[in-house]
Amino acid sequence: MRKLHISTSLAALMIAGALGTAYAADYSPVTDARLKNPEPQNWLMTRGNYQGWSYSALDQLNTTNVKGLTPVWSIATGVDSGHEAPPIVNNGVMFVATPYSQVMAMDAATGDFLWRYKRKLPEGFGALHNTSRGVALYGDKVFLPSLDAVLVALDAKTGKVAWEAKVEDWKTGYYMTMAPLVVKGKVLVGVAGGEFGVRGFVAAFDAETGKPAWKTYTVPAPGEPGSETWEKPDTWKTGGASTWMTGNYDADSNTVFWGTGNASPWFGDQRPGDNLYTSSTVALDGDTGKIKSHFQYHQNESWDWDEMNAPMLVDFQKDGKTTKGLLKPARNGYLYWLGRGDDGSISYLNSAAYVPQNVFKSIDPKTGRPDVDVAHKPATGKAAKFCPGLWGGKDWPYEAYNPKTGMIYIPSNENHCNTLEGKVEKRVLGQWWTGVAVPDLNFSVDTKAGFYGELQAYDVNTGKRAWRNLYANSMNWGSVLTTAGGLLFAGGTNDRMFRAYDATTGEELWHFRTNSGVMAPPSTYSVNGVQYVAVASGWGVDPAFQQSLMAELVGWNPDVPQGGVVWVFAVNK
Amino acid sequence: MQGAWRVGRRGLLRALLALAPWTVVRVRADDAADPTSMRPQIGDHLVFFDGPHEGKPVRVEDLELGGPQAQAFPADPKGLVRDESRFNLVIVARVGEDGLSEETRANSADGVVAYSGVCTHQGCPVNMWSAERKGFVCSCHGSIYDPKDDANVIFGPAPRRLAALPLKSENGLLIVAGPFNRRLGGEKG
Repeated sequence: MRKLHISTSLAALMIAGALGTAYAADYSPVTDARLKNPEPQNWLMTRGNYQGWSYSALDQLNTTNVKGLTPVWSIATGVDSGHEAPPIVNNGVMFVATPYSQVMAMDAATGDFLWRYKRKLPEGFGALHNTSRGVALYGDKVFLPSLDAVLVALDAKTGKVAWEAKVEDWKTGYYMTMAPLVVKGKVLVGVAGGEFGVRGFVAAFDAETGKPAWKTYTVPAPGEPGSETWEKPDTWKTGGASTWMTGNYDADSNTVFWGTGNASPWFGDQRPGDNLYTSSTVALDGDTGKIKSHFQYHQNESWDWDEMNAPMLVDFQKDGKTTKGLLKPARNGYLYWLGRGDDGSISYLNSAAYVPQNVFKSIDPKTGRPDVDVAHKPATGKAAKFCPGLWGGKDWPYEAYNPKTGMIYIPSNENHCNTLEGKVEKRVLGQWWTGVAVPDLNFSVDTKAGFYGELQAYDVNTGKRAWRNLYANSMNWGSVLTTAGGLLFAGGTNDRMFRAYDATTGEELWHFRTNSGVMAPPSTYSVNGVQYVAVASGWGVDPAFQQSLMAELVGWNPDVPQGGVVWVFAVNK
Repeated sequence: MQGAWRVGRRGLLRALLALAPWTVVRVRADDAADPTSMRPQIGDHLVFFDGPHEGKPVRVEDLELGGPQAQAFPADPKGLVRDESRFNLVIVARVGEDGLSEETRANSADGVVAYSGVCTHQGCPVNMWSAERKGFVCSCHGSIYDPKDDANVIFGPAPRRLAALPLKSENGLLIVAGPFNRRLGGEKG
């Protein structure tokens, strides 16, 4: 029996090896030109393009034939926890990152399993968010930011480690979950750890060698511009502004737009001042990382409203003119229209709440600075209730922009709040240090509201809501993909569904019940003339925690089964 | 294909044979070389990792009756703290002698219990306390463990109990009386 088992494994290994050899010969290296103008048949980066649209120009699948979508292959990832990485596809080869810092490579058309990389994490390592939001590609390499704050470069053909670069010391609370952004031969990464009192930064490494190129902190040191917004000495050292989501890139102005997280600890009175560049978008020079400009969504952050998602680069109509802009549905519940200057500057244009929010009394029409209602601002020794709660109008899942419909699609949540009261706590390196303990987060919901999760569409020119779909019995944690075929694809609900919608009307056109909840961004690609849609299903981390709270509040089933599977769909001819 | 398979099998067996001794030697070398990474040993005492007594040996009277827990690391009789591995993070609480389950009573000393401080869900520190449920709370996803019932999971996603660390008391100084009784750490990929 034992012999039989070994032989079978060997045979499997040999088959994988033979396939690996076959595909290695025709792997197409990823270049700057390809990243700037990604071919529609591929999905070369997390958001599909540098503008961050989560949009595909493929239109073989459309509102008529999408009803015929069926699974063509699937593969188990073999791990639990929240799967948050999109399938990345380069000329018929698919790469998927999974929780626990693993990467799997498959033949994108057949599902043949090519290789797997498993990082050996340090003994006793634990992460608040044990996930990965994906790999990046460049040349013949695949880049994985591992949870223990090491950037790993893999040979795309074999999965073997080409180089490793230490980004930070994980024992101090830094960890990495975002997908890297590759700009002009450099791999850019950010860090998580805003709940542990880290000081955020974006760092760049040479894609070929792993040599560090630059590192820009998102909290200025004394004497640097913005340092005057940290009025209490030393608070900047542990100030947060983590950088835990991937940036977007304007190739014309050579500007990287990166989002930053909450300030640390959570209660603003412990670190007086505006606290730049927390809960901001920073504009970085694509070569040097130097900060060109910034926009801060809310000052003296006190709600755990990270603004970690970079805005999308969208040109919209304003006052009858096409305006180079940035569009961002913020965690604070407002949708922002910002201007994008040729010099990388960011200017405030307009904003409007996309979910009810009780913290901003108004927003300055010139600067975009909110006037905060202190009754809804928690502080040390002062409990305050704020809505939306700390998970925000939307958390990290990606919105999408479809240039054909002119709409932005926002996966959002409402009718939820938190009541927080801060304490002064001593920092222990690498441990939760927010000023409030997890049992005291006091999450609450409006049980009479009728819905919690929603998917909304807004016209980017008029700002008018075009449609919305409401989910009575689930939050929405589903990143959105939109296509030139007039479609939206998204999961995000606790019923394990993966759905297709009409991008113009919001009508649900198709659904498929997967193994687990779908939190990962879907992607689409084409091989030999066939359009595929792919997504990883695997519930975990915050949606699972939130689900357990909803079980107590409104009786939802706390058990959304976990375990990852990558699904690939196509229409049978 | 058949031919390739045969060649491959021989090659792989050679590779396995070459790897196996290295693995064994490596593990032994680690254990012997670094006592700060060794698991708690019988006779070790505990040293506060945080709080007002940070760095001092844990004594029964230092702990607040009824919780919350303190975080600690084991230390050998000479005082060498075994804090190199996060698997050695211990939580220790003086919960009193009433209402202890049979197993917990056997592992406790003077009403004090000790467990691994590493959550069985995702490996985060179990360093928070729920006054409402009188339980240890994981700092990441809020799982709650019952200190009086062998760290039974009473809320949240943790899939199994924390490992208990048996204690004895020598004139109020807490001493490790046995190894962790279960696997340490979170779920693995």
